[in-house]
Amino acid sequence: MIKLIGALMVIGASTMYGFYRARSYAERPRQIRQLIHAVNRLATEIGYGSTPLPEALGKLSRQMHKPLDRMFQEAALRLGRERNATVRQVWRETVDRYWGLTAMKSPEKEAFIELGSTLGVSDRDNQLRFLELAKTQLQHEEAAAREEQVRFEKLSRTLGVLGGALIVILIY
Amino acid sequence: MPAAIDHLLPDRLSRIVSLLDRSTLDMLEELRIRENRPLEVIFGGKYSFLSAAGGLTLSAEQAYKPDRDDCLKLLDLITNHSLYSFEEELRRGYITVRGGHRVGIAGRAVLDRGQVKLLRDISGFNIRLAREVRGAAEGIIRTLIDPAEGMIHHTLVVSPPQCGKTTLIRDIARILSEGAWGAGRQPGRGVKVGIVDERSEIAASVAGVPTFDVGSRTDVLDACPKAEGMMMMIRSLSPQVIIVDEIGRKQDAEAIQEAMHAGIRVVATAHGRDIADVQRRPDLAPLFAASVFSRYVVLSGTGRSRRQQVYDGELRLIRLAADKAVAGR
Repeated sequence: MIKLIGALMVIGASTMYGFYRARSYAERPRQIRQLIHAVNRLATEIGYGSTPLPEALGKLSRQMHKPLDRMFQEAALRLGRERNATVRQVWRETVDRYWGLTAMKSPEKEAFIELGSTLGVSDRDNQLRFLELAKTQLQHEEAAAREEQVRFEKLSRTLGVLGGALIVILIY
Repeated sequence: MPAAIDHLLPDRLSRIVSLLDRSTLDMLEELRIRENRPLEVIFGGKYSFLSAAGGLTLSAEQAYKPDRDDCLKLLDLITNHSLYSFEEELRRGYITVRGGHRVGIAGRAVLDRGQVKLLRDISGFNIRLAREVRGAAEGIIRTLIDPAEGMIHHTLVVSPPQCGKTTLIRDIARILSEGAWGAGRQPGRGVKVGIVDERSEIAASVAGVPTFDVGSRTDVLDACPKAEGMMMMIRSLSPQVIIVDEIGRKQDAEAIQEAMHAGIRVVATAHGRDIADVQRRPDLAPLFAASVFSRYVVLSGTGRSRRQQVYDGELRLIRLAADKAVAGR
C-alpha cells in the first residue's frame, strides 16, 4: 500500500514538472508578444505624444499583464526619482531584476536591454528607428519561441508522465 | 538657494555646488558646465571656477572638470530622461525647467535644409537661475501709471542681459493684476493682464500653470510665439494690458501696434544698452517712428548695484531708482 502511494507520488511529481516545463514553452512566445506590444505603444507615445519617458512607462505598466507590469512600473518609478543614473543603467538593472520571473530567455533579454540604452537620448525620428529595430528583433525571437513551443510543449508533458512511470518501474 | 536648482543636478555636481558658502549661493546667477573644462559659477557679476572640494578658485588646473558621465546625467535630468520631448527647445538652444530657470545648451547643430533642426552631442550647459523678486517694480511703478486713466503707459524696458528685465515685468504684471500701485492695494482696481511667455521665463509655467506670482487677474500664453500670441490674446482673452519679453522681430513690432490700436496697453522689453541702441534696430524702427511708447525704463548694473531709469516719451529722465528694494536680493 505504502509502495503504491509512493509510486503515485513519484508519477504525480514528474507529471507536474512536465506540465510546468510545457507551460513555460507556451508562456514565452506570449510574453514576447507582450513586449512587442509594449514597444509599439512606446513608439506611439514617443512619436505622437512626445510623452516623457517615465510617464510613458507608467502608462505602459497599467496596460501590461503580470509579471511584466511590475517591471515597467519599477522602471517608471525609478526614472521619476533617480538623480544619479541614466536610463541605460536603470533599464538594465530593472530588467535584470524581473527577468527571472518571466518565461523569457536571454536572446530577447539582450534585445530588450539594448533598446534601453537608446531610449530617451536622441530625437524622435531616431527613437522611432531604434524602437522599430527592437521590434524586429523581438518578432524574430517570437517566431523562434513559437517553433519551440510546437516542438516541445506536448513533448514535455508526455515526458513528464512517462519519466515518472519509468522511475516507478525501475524501483518497484 | 541651492534647493532651487538641486533637482536639476546629478549628485556629484550638486554636492560641489552645495559646499559653496551662503553668500555666494545667494548671489548665484549662472552655473556653467562644460565637458572636460572647469566648472564655473557666476555670482554678483563676477566669475569663478569651482574645485572638487567646493571652494572658489580662479585657476583652471585646480578646478573640478565635469566628465562625460556628469554631462550625460545632467542632460538626462534636465530633459526628464526624454530628449525627444524637447525637440523644439533643442532647436532654439535652451530648455526652461521647473522653477523658471533657463538652461542654455551648446552642442553640434544638425541642419535640415539650411535650418537648425536640433542640437546633438550636447556638451555645454548654462543654468541661469531665475529669481522671483517681489517688489522689483515697486520703486518705479508710480511713474509708469497714467493718472488720468488709472492705467499703465505703453512701456518699453531696455536692458542688457542679466539686469533683471524679466524680473521687472513679472512684478509689473503682478502689481497691475492686483491693482497694487499708488497708495497700497485697492480692491477693484486690478486690471486684466495677458502675458505672452514665449520662453516660459516670465511666469515659469509648469504644465500650463504659472509657478511665479504674476497676479490673480493674469492670463499666460505659455511657450507661444510672441506675435501670434499677442493676436490670440487680442481676439480671445480681452486683456487690458499685454506683457511680452524680448521683442526684436518685425512681426513683434507689427503685433504691438495692432494691440495698441485695439486699445490695449503694452509693456515690452528689448535687449540693448540704452534707448538709442534699440532705436537703431531696423525691425523695431516703426515703433519709434510712430513714437508709440510713452515710458522707457532703462536697467543697468548687475548683482548688488542695479539702477532703474525711467524716461518719458520725449526721452526726458523722470526718475532714477537705485534703492535697496531693487538691488537687494
